[in-house]
Amino acid sequence: MNNQIMTVMKKEIKDNVRDRKTLMSSIFMGAIFMPIMFVVLINFVVNMQKDKAESQLEMAISGVENAQSFISFLKTKDVKIKEFNGDATQAIKDKDEEAVIIIPKGFSENFSSGIPAKIEVYYDATAKGSTNVTQQRIKALINEYSTSIGMTRLQLRGISPLLLKAIVVEKHDVSTTQSKGAMMLGFLPYALILGLFMGSMYLAIDTMAGEKERNSLEALLLNPVKRSHLLIGKLFATISFGLMTMVLTIVTFKLVMPFMPLEKMGMSVDLGFKNVSILILVLAPLAIMAASLQTIIATFSKSFKEAQTYVNLLMFVPMIPSMALMFVPVKEKLWMMATPILSQNLIINQIMRGEEVAAISIILAIISALIVGLLLALVAIKLYNRESLLFSD
Amino acid sequence: MIEVKAISKNFGDVQAVKEVTFTAPDNQVTALLGANGAGKTTSLRMIYALITPQSGEISIDGINPKKDPEDARKLLGILPDTRGLYTRLTARENIEYFGKLHGMNDENIKSRTESLVKDLRMEDFIDRKTDGFSQGQRVKVAIARALVHDPQNIILDEPTNGLDVMSTRGVRAFLQKEKQRGKCILFSSHVMQEVAAVSDEILIVNDGVICASGSEESLLEQTQMRNLEDAFVHIVTKGEGHE
Repeated sequence: MNNQIMTVMKKEIKDNVRDRKTLMSSIFMGAIFMPIMFVVLINFVVNMQKDKAESQLEMAISGVENAQSFISFLKTKDVKIKEFNGDATQAIKDKDEEAVIIIPKGFSENFSSGIPAKIEVYYDATAKGSTNVTQQRIKALINEYSTSIGMTRLQLRGISPLLLKAIVVEKHDVSTTQSKGAMMLGFLPYALILGLFMGSMYLAIDTMAGEKERNSLEALLLNPVKRSHLLIGKLFATISFGLMTMVLTIVTFKLVMPFMPLEKMGMSVDLGFKNVSILILVLAPLAIMAASLQTIIATFSKSFKEAQTYVNLLMFVPMIPSMALMFVPVKEKLWMMATPILSQNLIINQIMRGEEVAAISIILAIISALIVGLLLALVAIKLYNRESLLFSD
Repeated sequence: MIEVKAISKNFGDVQAVKEVTFTAPDNQVTALLGANGAGKTTSLRMIYALITPQSGEISIDGINPKKDPEDARKLLGILPDTRGLYTRLTARENIEYFGKLHGMNDENIKSRTESLVKDLRMEDFIDRKTDGFSQGQRVKVAIARALVHDPQNIILDEPTNGLDVMSTRGVRAFLQKEKQRGKCILFSSHVMQEVAAVSDEILIVNDGVICASGSEESLLEQTQMRNLEDAFVHIVTKGEGHE
């Protein structure tokens, strides 16, 4: 490779490795802090749901005296009965209760005469997490009681309760164990891509806007080196930091995987050699894209601070496909695999779900990101060649 | 040798440099003397091909910097108007970086750095990171990195701007020594005493035009003045006012 390009690249790397701010922001925040944060968060969420599903259920009931047999049924199911007096709606709004059951006065009369007896259940359908689990358990218990009573009544009248079941639903869940919890890991593609963007961000700003702010740009341009070579050297340094952070992020994820509550989520993520290689191969060309984009933005900025503001905004770009895929799962199509960032998201998701990634997907993802990255690099070179580069402030 | 023939440059409606012509031969210190905004920096920037002149010709030892900017810069050592250093690198590393960009090998860079350290008296701070350097230390490092490839032609834009007496004298002595080594030295300044002290040929620049040239004595003779400052004011105001 061209010696001058190497010289520029080595100098920029040495210069930035000496800056603690760079190391903190790219390596620590991107590659180490984020994966650990991720594990802690997932553990927290999963354990909370799990605890709730297994713990003793407590039901707030108003009008316990109206339905003795129902209450004894609940007691056999190890439900803790809590007598409730007051405004049910208010109690749920205030989050004092997760659900409130009201047994009206006429319950036992209707019950005895075979008329559907009413039980009112107050709950907040929009509630999330453990509250949701509680509501489902309550509804399931009421259904169970209602069905068992209904069946007994039919039997007493000499009718087979099976007549009620015109259709039997037999569920075949074809999702592998891995895809059940994939939703939880939907954040992973973003974490990996973000790590890459964070890794190169500081160098892009420092080598472009930083050089301008330090007033060393003019002297640098006066060396007998083509400007395109100067820029390529800087770009290589920026890309190498992005790559390094990306690989480190993957390694950290591999190391923290054993601490993920994968079993509780009913899944197993295979981060073996093959999948790690696919991840690195597919993400690597994105480093060129990220570095070039950040460099272009930093070229236009007058100061370090200004560049930092704009480059930080750029972080939202890789977030869009990740977020969209988290909420709207799509069927992978070829054109999607040829769309940089989206393709990386899809492939990482496939790996998380334990699916085989098609070779064509990998090739398309690499080539498309490379093409876009190189085009952006050309734009960055063009911008660096402008006479007004030095005078834009 | 630097030869400039009728170069001009506009920035929008403002004509910064108009038809400037001069020659800075080897073995001589040539000064561009002018007020701030007279067009000195723009002229120098055209010579070292940072900006392109709208018209006119420039030659650095026979090479046209407009056509071959990289070749021309190999023959030039330039101290620009801005002299920021890389503050996380030591003074030596700053100089080394530019040496490598000039394609020098490690051995040459080392020996040349040693001689520059001696000539510019940088022994005390050469291996320190340049963060927090005084103005004088910064200029010395900037000069050393600009001249690491020992160029035949030296261009300095306001070299002693902001320096104290001792640093100024150090830089002047260094330039004298380089001149004796047969170098072509072209520098710009707005400080009369400095120009008077070091230059052999003075070009007075005003409003983008060279309005007078010659040695200090010849300028004094042309204007019938007793010192260079009065002569400068006389020339710039076309004899109308001395205040």
